[in-house]
Amino acid sequence: MNSPTTFTPVGQDELDWLGTDPVPTKPYYDPAWFELEREAVFRRSWQQVGHVCELPEQGSFIRRELEVLGASLLIVRGKDGEVCAFHNVCTHRGTQLVDEAAGKRSTFSCPYHMWTFGLDGGLISAPDFESFHVTKAECALPQLACEVVGGLIFVHFGKPESSLREWLGPYANKLEMMPVARATTFSEYVYDIDANWKLTYDNFQENYHLRFIHPSAAGPSTSPDNPFAYPTAYDFHGPHRSQRIWTKPDMAPPTGVQAVAFQRGAICAMADGILGAETAKDYIGLFPNFFVFGSPMQHFSHTVYPIAADKSRGVIRLYWIGEDETPSERFAREYFMAVARDVHTEDRAVIERGHKGLASGALEYLHFQTQESLCRHLFNMVSEKVEAYRAELTGRAEQEGARA
Amino acid sequence: MSTQTLLPESFAALEPYVAGWARNGSAARAGRRGNSTAEEREAFYAAVAGELPRALDYLDAKGFAALDDADQRLMNMMLCLGHVALAVEQQNDAEPRHARDRAHMHITHTPAGA
Repeated sequence: MNSPTTFTPVGQDELDWLGTDPVPTKPYYDPAWFELEREAVFRRSWQQVGHVCELPEQGSFIRRELEVLGASLLIVRGKDGEVCAFHNVCTHRGTQLVDEAAGKRSTFSCPYHMWTFGLDGGLISAPDFESFHVTKAECALPQLACEVVGGLIFVHFGKPESSLREWLGPYANKLEMMPVARATTFSEYVYDIDANWKLTYDNFQENYHLRFIHPSAAGPSTSPDNPFAYPTAYDFHGPHRSQRIWTKPDMAPPTGVQAVAFQRGAICAMADGILGAETAKDYIGLFPNFFVFGSPMQHFSHTVYPIAADKSRGVIRLYWIGEDETPSERFAREYFMAVARDVHTEDRAVIERGHKGLASGALEYLHFQTQESLCRHLFNMVSEKVEAYRAELTGRAEQEGARA
Repeated sequence: MSTQTLLPESFAALEPYVAGWARNGSAARAGRRGNSTAEEREAFYAAVAGELPRALDYLDAKGFAALDDADQRLMNMMLCLGHVALAVEQQNDAEPRHARDRAHMHITHTPAGA
């Protein structure tokens, strides 16, 4: 699809269903609200935790810490080639089973009393097991629901109401069409931030700030008919949302080292068959905390992991197909990672300022304009889930009260 | 012969920049940009940026498997140029403040080796 030569922003009438009211600030900093989110949002949603390229062989494993639920996960490619997720907890007395961030093993042995588990999570052996009062079958590692779409690994801590694919709806097919589905390696950078996860996430789903916060990167991509580089379309499916990125039709060609990186990168992207893909301008936000951008040159994902009401961790990955085949490809990949890192650096600094302001309690409400509707949608989705969970807690308390 | 020189013979003119910029590892290269002065970056960029296409063509023609130590230093220097070019071509006067903020973004994995 060609870029429009005259930009038309998405109208408010398309977005009226999201509401226009000011949004309360408390959910963006209140520890009590965050406690509710842990259960209402994170225990009850599929969460993206990795990519299949991290588990290339049978016995490959990764450890993932999900602070929001106080969990350490062991994600393993089993003998049958399937990816499974377990709590990284020895079933004897709860010791963390694996310490390494990643590796390859045929079994997992707890260092404390040498209970040994297979790749399927089953207890294989335990010294003097005859003295216990339980069967081995009862001592398998606790397993989580784990599914893969587009090469991306998702886990669910509770009982999922639907499969991952059903939950993602039309975005499942989009993910399968993106380079991430064929990725075999990635570049990654990580940041810690003193800010709430929603405030952090919101920064990356509105373009209103681009020309102010990213003058060197975004300035050239704006034009008189689209001075804020707003997207050409928004889309929603359940708790998920996406935007279609606008590209300035008459953007000046790059110069200097940037031009060399673009030329070399484009040749590699073309060889990988990802240049001009239908999803190249799709920027998808999967509830609750994951983004992926379809751009072939800078095909990145971004997960914002909540740690506390006022602390989060961002993990950004640029996914690549194949190892660096040539020095030119290596150069282009490192350059585009550095470009993305520069942009995210600018975001991080201003998000922390935003959190400080909100956490001061000075404001009761914040305001989202039409072109910040994806932020409003996230707020609406989180509020809906937290309020439903609150009602559930109240109902439970009333039932217990009636019984007493 | 190449084992006695810092860079491949046809890039010998760039040898003064090896010690400062031919760094192994993506994080070290990004860090070198971060702890350099504007004068150092500008001198490096002025001397090396114009040689980037020729260097990549030379390295591509050899292929990774055939790169010797001098070639690898040339590769690392060009990768470092990618980082430095962002300061010189994009950030300009904003680079010192940008470098402070950028220190929070930790490179943990790259195909080239983090």
